[in-house]
Amino acid sequence: MTVEETIKKDIETTFGELVRVEIERKHRVRAYTPRNMVLPMLAYLKQRGFHQFTLLTCVDWIKDGKFELVYNLYSLNYNVHVLISTKINRDKATMPTAINVYEMAFDYEREIHEMFGVEFEGHPRLDEFLLEDWKGIPPMRKDFDTRKYVEEKYGMKDLTKELFTRKEQPYRGPGSNG
Amino acid sequence: MGKIREFDFEYFIGPAHPGVTGNMSYHIWAEGDTILKIEPNLGYLHRGFEKLVEQRHWIKNFPLILRICVPEPDVNEVLLAMAVEELNEIDVPERAQYIRIIVLELARLAAYLFYFGGVAGAIGLYTIPQWTIGDRDYILDLFEELTGGRVYHIYQTIGGVRRDTPEGFEERVLKVLDYLEERLKDYDKLFFEHPLFLKRTKGIGIVDKDTALRFSVTGPNLRAAGVNYDVRKQEPYLIYDRFDFDVPDIYRDGDVYSRAMQRRLEFAESIRIIRQAIDKMPGGAVNIKIRNPFEYRVRAGSTYVKLESSKGEYGFYVVSDGGVLPYRLHVRGPSFSHGLQLVRHIAEGTNIADISMILFSLDVCPPDAER
Amino acid sequence: MQKGRCVMGMNLKFFDALKFLVRKPHTVRVPYEKKEPAKRYRGIHVNDWEKCIGCGNCAKICTCQAIEMVEIPTLTPKMGATNLRPQVDYGRCSFCGQCVDVCPTGSLKLSTEYEIISSDINDFKFIPNLNRDSGPGTGWESDIESSLLDFKRVEMPERDPKERKKDFDWVLKGFSEEEAVFEAVRCLGCALCVQGCPTGMYIPEYINAIFNKDYEKSVEWMFINNPLPEVCGTICTHRCEDACVYHNRGQAVQIRYLKGFAAGKVDDYEKVVGISKKKADKKVALIGAGPASLSCAFYLRREGVDAVIYEAQKVAGGMLKLGIPRYRLPDSILSKEIDFIKKQGVEIKFGIRVGVDVTFEQLLKMYDAVFIGTGYHVGSRMGIPGDEGEGVFDAATLLRDVNLGKEVKIGKKVLVIGGGDVAMDATRTALRLGAEEVILSYRRRYVDMPASDEEKHEAEAEGVKFMTQTLPVEIVRDKNGRITKVKYVETEMVHEEGARRPKPVPKMDNVMEWEIDTVIMAIGQKPDWSFLPDEWKNKIKFDRRMNHIIVNDDMMTDVEGVFAGGDIVNPRADAISAIADGRKAALGIIKYLEIRK
Ligand SMILES: Cc1cc2nc3c(=O)[nH]c(=O)nc-3n(C[C@H](O)[C@H](O)[C@H](O)COP(=O)(O)OP(=O)(O)OC[C@H]3O[C@@H](n4cnc5c(N)ncnc54)[C@H](O)[C@@H]3O)c2cc1C
Ligand code: SF4
Ligand code: SF4
Repeated sequence: MTVEETIKKDIETTFGELVRVEIERKHRVRAYTPRNMVLPMLAYLKQRGFHQFTLLTCVDWIKDGKFELVYNLYSLNYNVHVLISTKINRDKATMPTAINVYEMAFDYEREIHEMFGVEFEGHPRLDEFLLEDWKGIPPMRKDFDTRKYVEEKYGMKDLTKELFTRKEQPYRGPGSNG
Repeated sequence: MGKIREFDFEYFIGPAHPGVTGNMSYHIWAEGDTILKIEPNLGYLHRGFEKLVEQRHWIKNFPLILRICVPEPDVNEVLLAMAVEELNEIDVPERAQYIRIIVLELARLAAYLFYFGGVAGAIGLYTIPQWTIGDRDYILDLFEELTGGRVYHIYQTIGGVRRDTPEGFEERVLKVLDYLEERLKDYDKLFFEHPLFLKRTKGIGIVDKDTALRFSVTGPNLRAAGVNYDVRKQEPYLIYDRFDFDVPDIYRDGDVYSRAMQRRLEFAESIRIIRQAIDKMPGGAVNIKIRNPFEYRVRAGSTYVKLESSKGEYGFYVVSDGGVLPYRLHVRGPSFSHGLQLVRHIAEGTNIADISMILFSLDVCPPDAER
Repeated sequence: MQKGRCVMGMNLKFFDALKFLVRKPHTVRVPYEKKEPAKRYRGIHVNDWEKCIGCGNCAKICTCQAIEMVEIPTLTPKMGATNLRPQVDYGRCSFCGQCVDVCPTGSLKLSTEYEIISSDINDFKFIPNLNRDSGPGTGWESDIESSLLDFKRVEMPERDPKERKKDFDWVLKGFSEEEAVFEAVRCLGCALCVQGCPTGMYIPEYINAIFNKDYEKSVEWMFINNPLPEVCGTICTHRCEDACVYHNRGQAVQIRYLKGFAAGKVDDYEKVVGISKKKADKKVALIGAGPASLSCAFYLRREGVDAVIYEAQKVAGGMLKLGIPRYRLPDSILSKEIDFIKKQGVEIKFGIRVGVDVTFEQLLKMYDAVFIGTGYHVGSRMGIPGDEGEGVFDAATLLRDVNLGKEVKIGKKVLVIGGGDVAMDATRTALRLGAEEVILSYRRRYVDMPASDEEKHEAEAEGVKFMTQTLPVEIVRDKNGRITKVKYVETEMVHEEGARRPKPVPKMDNVMEWEIDTVIMAIGQKPDWSFLPDEWKNKIKFDRRMNHIIVNDDMMTDVEGVFAGGDIVNPRADAISAIADGRKAALGIIKYLEIRK
C-alpha cells in the first residue's frame, strides 16, 4: 500500500462516512470535509505528524453561493500534502479559527477575512492586514469588479473592451447586416 | 513576550529599508537595546496579483505573475506553466525541461548572490554587495541573451519555453560558471571566513529545528536548522530526479551563520546541476503549439504545485473552471511563513542591532508574502 | 574551503587584491558608454506598416493594455486589412513581447533599442514604425515556429485519388467533430476575413459557435446573410480564407469546410431559423433558379413578399446543379437547402423558359418587380479548324448533360482546353466518364492558371496531365470525321511595356501534335440575352461587351422595378457572389416596393 493509500484509509477509518478522501496524484491527498469536521481533522493530522501548515486559501464559488476553504498540510515523514476542502455558506460566512491547532493559521485567516470576508470565530485579531482603509466589499470576492474600480478610482479606460466583446445578435432576417 | 511599559522605546524599521528585499515595515518595542516585541506591518507591496490573474487569459498571466518577486522571478513563471501542464496533461519537450532547469538554477545563483550581498551589507561589510551584485550582472547578461530580458525574463510558456537557446549560449554559461567558482574563493576569503562575519553571526538569530518545523519554515532556512528537506529531492518536479546533486547538511545550528553557510554550499551545488544540464541537454523542440492564446482552456480542476526556490518552498494553488481564465490562483510565498509568525516569535530578546541581519539572513521577501 | 577556518587579520591578502587593479569592471562606465544589448533583447517596438494589417491581436493580448489601435486616415487598407495601427504606451508596456509572438503577419517586433529620454510625457506614447529598427536578426522577432499561433490547418480528409476517380461520389470525407473543433480554435476573432466574403458572413461568430459545439447557434449566424450555407461550405471559392490573417504567413483557417461541417450537423433548419409568417401582399418574379434567385427569393419570403421563380430546366440550383459535378457537390446537400428555401413558400415553376413559354413583358405586368438571375450558360468555342462536329464539346454543355443524367459519349484520350475551375471540372468529369488519358492544355504558365490551387492539385492527383504554355491550332479528323490528332504549338510569355501581366505569344514555327479523340473546350461561358426583347436590350444598361448588366447599389437596373444579380452582374462569377447579389436585391426590392406604396 502506498503512503497516500495509508493516509486515505486512516482518515476514512477515523472519520467515517463524513469525509470523502481522494488521492489526486502522488504526494497529494484531498479530503472533502464538512465544516464542523475541519478542526478535528486538523487536530488529527497534526498529531499524525503533519507539521507544516503550508497554506490556507479560499475559493469563491459565487454561482453555488459557497466559499471553499482549503487547508493544505504537509508531513515530511510521509512526504504528502493533505488538502482539506470544506464549503461554507457565502453570505455571513463563518468558520472556527484554526490557530489553536496550527498557530501558522494566524495570518492566513487574517488575510482571508480581509480579502473574502470570512469571519474566523475565536480569532483574536481580524484587523487590517494588507489593505488600508478599505470600505468596499472584500476585493477577492468574484463580485468585486476590478476594472470598474480602476476606472472610477484612477480614471483609466479599458482599451480592449471592444476587442473582447462579440456583437451577439439573434437572427432577424434581411436588413440585419447591410 | 515581555510586558511593554510606557517608557519603552517604540521603533519603526522600514518600509523603505528594513533589511529585507522589498518594502515592509516592522514595528518594534524595545527596552534599551533589547527587543520586547515585533510586529510585521504589511501592505506596502500588495499589488493584488491573485485578483489580476483571474481577469487574464492563461497565457497573458506569464508576463504578469513573475513580477511578484524581483530577485527570482522565474519560479513564478515555471509554477504557472507546471500547473497548467499538470491540469491539461501536457508532455513538455525534453529540451525545454533542461532549459527550465538551467534557468531556475541560474536564477537561484542570482538570488543567492543578492543574498550574500544583503547579509554582508547588514553586517557592514560593504565590499561584498558591490562584488556580488556586480557578479550577478554576469548572470543577468546570460538571461538577457537567452530570454531577452535581464530581470523579468518572461521566458516560460505553456508546454515549454518561448525560444531555443541562442548559438553558443551553453559555452558562455560554462564560462560564467567557471568565473563564479573562481570568485567563490574570493568570497570565502573576504566574507565567509572573515572573522568579523563569524563573530557577528554565530549564535545569533537562532531558529532551531523545533521552531522551524513549528512555523512551517522551508528551504535553506529549514536545512540550516538541521532538517534535510528539499523539494527537488522530496518531490522532484520537472526532471530534477535525473541530476546528481547533494543537499548540504553540514551546518545545523539554525543561526545566521548556518543560514549563510548553507546557501554558500548550495551555491556550489547549483553550479553542479547547471553543468550536468548543459552536458545532457538533448536537441529537439522547446515548446508546443497552443493554437490560440485567446481560446486556450484549462480543464476544470485544481492542483497544488510547488518547487524549491532560493527562499524555500514556493507553491501555487491553481483552480480552473474549464474556462479561458484562471478561476483562482493562490501564491504560497515562502516568506509568508518565515517573515511573519516566525519573526514575531524569535525577535523577542534579540539585540536591536542584529534585527536587520536576522531578517536578511532569513531572506524575508515581502513581495512573495503580500503578492 | 574548510569549515570554520578563522584566519586572523587581513583575509584577502595584499597580492590577492592586486589582481583587481587591472580587471575591467562590469559596471556602468564614466564617461558613459552605452551597453550593447544582447541580440534577443526586448526593447522598443518596431512595426512594419506595409506588413501590418491592423488586426488588433497585439492589443488584445497585451497584459498591460499598453496598446491602443489608432486609425491612420492616410492609409488605404488592402483586402483583409484595416487602417488601424498599434500605438504603444511605454508607461504601461512591460516589454514582454507577447504582442510580437501573436502578430499573425510578423510585422511587429521589439528592437534592441531601449532608450527614450524625454521630459515630455507624450513622447512615451507613439505609433511604432520602422524608425527605431535595429536591423534584421536583432531584437525579439517571431517566426512561424516561435509564434504563439499555429499556421498549419487541419487538412480536409479526402478519398484516395485512385479510388475516387472511378465514380461520381463525393471526394471529401468531411471533418470529424474533433478535427472541426481543433481547427475552429485557431480563429482569433479579428473578423478581417469578413471583408473577403461578398455577403459579409458572420465568420468569427459562427466559428466560435462551432468551437463551443453549438451548431444551431452557428447556423443561425450563417442564415443572416446566406441561405445556402452547406453548399457554400462545400464548393465556395472561399475569398474569406484569402483575407484571413493566417493567410499572410501560413494556412488560413478552414472557414469554408467548418461552415459546411456545422451546417451538416443541423438536419432541420426550420428548428433553428423558422418559417416566416409575415405577409406583405406583393409579388416578385425571378428568372432562373440559380443561387442568385434562390437567395433573393428566400429573403423576400422572410419579409412576406411572394416569390415565384421561372426556371427553364426541370431542376433547381442553376450552375450549382448543372455545372458543378456531383463528386464535388452531392445532391443531398443541394436538395436539403433548396427544399428549405421552398419550405419558406418560394414557388418554382419548372420547365418554363422566359422568352419562349412566357415573355419578359408579361412578367413585368403580372408582378410588382422582376429579378433576373439567368447566369452564364452558353459555352464558348475556339474557332480553330475542325472544331465543328462530332467529338468536340464545350464544357458547359457537357457538364450540364452529365448532371442531368443524359448519356454522354467521350473517347479514351481527351484534351481539355482552358485553365479555370470549369476546365478542372471538365478534366475530372472526363476521367469519371471513362477517359484513360486526359491532357489539359493551357496557354499561360502553371502559376497563371485562374483555377484554385486545390482544384489543380486534386486534378493532378487523379492523373490529369498538365501541358501549360501550349496552344491547340488545329483539330485533325480522319475521313469519317473522327478526331485523330490535335496540332499545337508552344507559347512564350512576353512581358510588354505597361501590360499588367505577360502575354502568351505562340511560337508558330514548331507545330507538334497529340493523339486525341475527344476535345473539351473550357474557355469561358457567355450569357444568353435572347429572352429579352430587342427594345429592352436598349433600355437596360449593359457593359461594353454585353457581358454584364449594370446595376445600382440596390441591384436595380436602369429600369425601375427590374433587378438583376449573379453571374450576369458580377464578374467574380461564383456562387457566393450570386448569393450576396440575391440578398442585396431582396433588400433593394423591399425598399423599392415600400417606396412605391
Ligand atoms: C462547371 C462550373 C463549376 C463551378 N464551380 C464553382 C465552385 O466551385 N464554386 C463557386 O462558388 N462557383 C462555381 N461555379 C460558378 C457558380 O456556379 C455560378 O457563379 C453561380 O451558379 C451563378 O449563379 P446565378 O444564379 O447567377 O446563375 P446560374 O447558377 O447560372 O443559374 C441560372 C439559372 O437560370 C436558368 N435560366 C437561364 N435562362 C433562363 C430563361 N430564359 N428562363 C428561365 N430560366 C433561365 C438556368 O437554367 C439556370 O438554372 C461554377 C460554375 C461552373 C459552370
Ligand atoms: S498584431 Fe501585427 S498585424 Fe495585427 S495590428 Fe498588431 S502589429 Fe499589426
Ligand atoms: S511588449 Fe508586452 S506589454 Fe508591451 S505592448 Fe507588447 S504585449 Fe504589451
